[in-house]
Amino acid sequence: MLQQENPVKDYKSRVTIIGNIVVFSFAIILARLWFLQIHNGEQFLKYSLENILRKENLRAPRGLVLDRNNKILIHNVPRFDAIIIPQYLRNKNTSLKKLAKIIDLPVSRIEKILKKNSIQARYMPVVIKKNISMKEVAIIETENFKIPGISVRQFIGREYPEKEVGAHLLGYISEINRKQIPKLRKKYNYVYRPGDHIGQAGIEEVLDLHLRGENGHQIVEVDALGRARRHVGADKLFKGIINRPFKRGSNLRLTIDKDLQMVAYKSLEGKVGSAVVVDVETGEILAMVSRPSFDPSQFGRGISHEYWNSLITNENNPLLDRNIQEHYSPGSTFKTVTALAGLEEGLIDEKTEVKCKGHIKFGNRRFHCWKRGGHGKVNIYKAIKESCDIYFYKLAQILDIDVLAKYANMLGLGMKTGISLPREIPGLMPTKKWKKEYTGEKWQRGETLSVVIGQSFALTTPIQLAMSYAALANGGKVYRPHYLKEIFNNDGEVVEKNSPELIRSLKFKPKTLKILKKGLFKAVNEKKGTAYWFRGRGLNMAGKTGTSQVIRIASDKIYNKCEKMEYKFRHHGIFVSFAPVKNPKIAVSVVVEHGCHGSTAAAPVARNIIDQYMRTYQPETRSEILAEEKKMAQRVSKQ
Amino acid sequence: MITANFWAVIKKYDFSFFIITSAIFVVGILNLYSATHGSNSGVVSNLYQTQIFLFGFSLFIGFLISFLRPSTLARFSWPIYWVNIGLLLLVLFLGIQGMGAKRWILLGPFRLQPSEIMKISLILGLARFFTSKRYYSELNLKTLIIPSLFAFIPALLVIMQPDLGTGLVLLLIFFMVAFYVGLKWKTIMILGIIGLISGLGMYQFGLKGYQKKRITAFLNPGMEPKGLGYNAIQSKIAIGSGKFFGKGFKNSTQASLNYLPENHTDFVFSIFNEEHGFFGSLFLIGLYLVLFFRFLWLAQSVTDVYDSIVVIGVMSIFFWHTIVNMGMVTGLLPIVGLPLPLMSYGGSSLLTFGICVGLATSISNAKTLF
Repeated sequence: MLQQENPVKDYKSRVTIIGNIVVFSFAIILARLWFLQIHNGEQFLKYSLENILRKENLRAPRGLVLDRNNKILIHNVPRFDAIIIPQYLRNKNTSLKKLAKIIDLPVSRIEKILKKNSIQARYMPVVIKKNISMKEVAIIETENFKIPGISVRQFIGREYPEKEVGAHLLGYISEINRKQIPKLRKKYNYVYRPGDHIGQAGIEEVLDLHLRGENGHQIVEVDALGRARRHVGADKLFKGIINRPFKRGSNLRLTIDKDLQMVAYKSLEGKVGSAVVVDVETGEILAMVSRPSFDPSQFGRGISHEYWNSLITNENNPLLDRNIQEHYSPGSTFKTVTALAGLEEGLIDEKTEVKCKGHIKFGNRRFHCWKRGGHGKVNIYKAIKESCDIYFYKLAQILDIDVLAKYANMLGLGMKTGISLPREIPGLMPTKKWKKEYTGEKWQRGETLSVVIGQSFALTTPIQLAMSYAALANGGKVYRPHYLKEIFNNDGEVVEKNSPELIRSLKFKPKTLKILKKGLFKAVNEKKGTAYWFRGRGLNMAGKTGTSQVIRIASDKIYNKCEKMEYKFRHHGIFVSFAPVKNPKIAVSVVVEHGCHGSTAAAPVARNIIDQYMRTYQPETRSEILAEEKKMAQRVSKQ
Repeated sequence: MITANFWAVIKKYDFSFFIITSAIFVVGILNLYSATHGSNSGVVSNLYQTQIFLFGFSLFIGFLISFLRPSTLARFSWPIYWVNIGLLLLVLFLGIQGMGAKRWILLGPFRLQPSEIMKISLILGLARFFTSKRYYSELNLKTLIIPSLFAFIPALLVIMQPDLGTGLVLLLIFFMVAFYVGLKWKTIMILGIIGLISGLGMYQFGLKGYQKKRITAFLNPGMEPKGLGYNAIQSKIAIGSGKFFGKGFKNSTQASLNYLPENHTDFVFSIFNEEHGFFGSLFLIGLYLVLFFRFLWLAQSVTDVYDSIVVIGVMSIFFWHTIVNMGMVTGLLPIVGLPLPLMSYGGSSLLTFGICVGLATSISNAKTLF
């Protein structure tokens, strides 16, 4: 069998070479491993960790907002989005059709959304419809196992249980837009991030930094497909990687009384207007409503097109807070201020009497009293009570406009009240200087006649009227209106307490204030008083009606019936009041746009509000007043 | 009588190959378990059980083969070779499709992968050829033509399936055997040049799109992180992140999170490195070296040329698989898809290696047993 003597021996050298090749090859592999593991190991380890970790943001729930009696005004509730994870879809067409049916959205629209999001990371959910109803959630949840890839995702919804009531004060939140980020960084020295939801109006906007809390994040392990697998724990591999829990926002307790606000809102039913209620001794706002209004819950997460359109096409502008962002001629409610100026300046007193014939001639112009035929003999009480224009025209002839403006400004009229809310407007209190600067013309004395009865240039916001009447009621203290009682954290500890801020303390003669209060009381509580028919029971209310002319009315038409005019030309009805007169607690200012009269349109609203207030907060005083009224009525009927 | 004979056989039986391969397999099965235990799929997480069964089966086949006399084997070398060529042709026409390639034929309930057995058949054929003709002296270009045809024909048939990795391994086995038999250094250089030119030509015209892409990805792995070079990069990250002592058993983040596809087949070595680091690799490569030198020692200790060539051939199967696999997962070679012997999951390759071990044992035993 062996042709040679062990021929294998010839191969011996080759075996050695092959052995060397083997060793050499593995030496190369080991060198390579050394390079990867020892030389670059640290870096690759970092890569391998980055590979698998993803930062997930944890959105902090915003703080709660409560009213003065701890009733909820704003809170957070779980809400749901309908989502699709495209990579999990099995039978795309039928799945989309099923979803379309559940959430009532055309298939083409869903496909469009999917297409728009097709470039995002894989296994990230695509939101198809935001904020779906609980019924839709239930259907999707039960159908979920039949249509993989379609699901719901929870988020924290901001809910305003009272919806439109007080919406302007509370404001709303929505996603930050890109332009706001640099602006807000400058303003608050706080870095907001894209995707943050921030307060865009009202308290939500002003106190955003308190309400928002601090977002946290958690590090989640994901696989190569981007699917979250588990939360990173105390694994030694992940040493040094820490999650940051979110910090809830602070809670607010407001000065608002939810029930009182509801009464105010309901009383304005079907009207365009506003009502604001302030505590005369502190400047606390008890209620502040404006109509038409909006539902802030709708804004939280992508307002629907339809709803947004309905808001911005509404010619009554539901987004406008009429209490602070709209001004009106104060009308006759301003006569109180004119009277104050006259009394304080010594131009008139209790005994000053004027004869009202229904009109007065000034220069070559004829000024009319609202009451055709006139009031006859009028003193200051009757002038306020029956709102006699002639009395004030007469006063205007000896009252300088700048002096009047001074008194108006002292009470805070024609200037911002300084309430901590965005976009408050100042209104206007004309002076000679103002007119010169504004129109270039000199002040005409005739113009003073219009201003003393609150027409022409004079413009006030409803909240200014409330604050000025509050100052008259409390003896001359002008407060800054505020709505915040305290800020407290989640352990219930009060972090910040808001105390009343006195802006000015006015030294009026006690006699003057007494006269004005008496006049205002008569206007409501005595026959022929302009608001007599709306005086209510047990209120002890003082107040002044006002009519704010929308257009200048030709003198031959001033006695035409307002209700017969075209709606948009009708006067605004204003009523400002405080109660109870003996020991004033609250001041109420009501405006009803195109309501024609302060008495019929606005006074009933204030009456309802004060009635609710007296029942809640002053039940004893109320029963005393009721008893007194009863006695009075008996005496009257005996006579 | 039989019992006494049995004990005599056992005493003289060479268990060394079985022991070394089993040692590597134990490392491999632990690594496989670690790489797959975290899988969400029950099928994948139980792969290690299947692997144990397959290895047992392969050992059994190898054990049976170890009782074949080498001379018997030599007699059947040609029939085995030609039948295998026939099977490869059959695959091209009747094969079952799987993962974009035709590699299997159905033989009753079994799925047969002729390209795997071809590695062994080629060795047997070559050994028979080099012993029957008087090719004991050096091989030059002319005398290389005929034996190279024995390798190139099956290699081409395999590449056409397409299975580039196995095709290349067939050629590599041939070159190692030819070198052993006596390839001239001059011829090696000429062949090197021809190989380079034909390699470029093949890249241009002969490769499937995905094969081309793999090579492109190899040359430029950073190109697309989630695209072509993805495997290469993730493999390097896995290996590198192991550093010296590794992240520890079952602590691979790359495998358990599916960053590394095929982590239980072609990329087991990456996971092994991630978990056991450079230190682990030293140990594993040490085991492989023990195996290879056992082969080499056997090759030079036998007296029969046929036996010696078969042993070298068998060693070259192990060697090329090992070195190409390690080279590709460490980013030194393009990813061609070759399993790491005894470490990667897969029945066909385990069976091949089992048969190889059986052949080597048979040859070793022949010295003393028969």
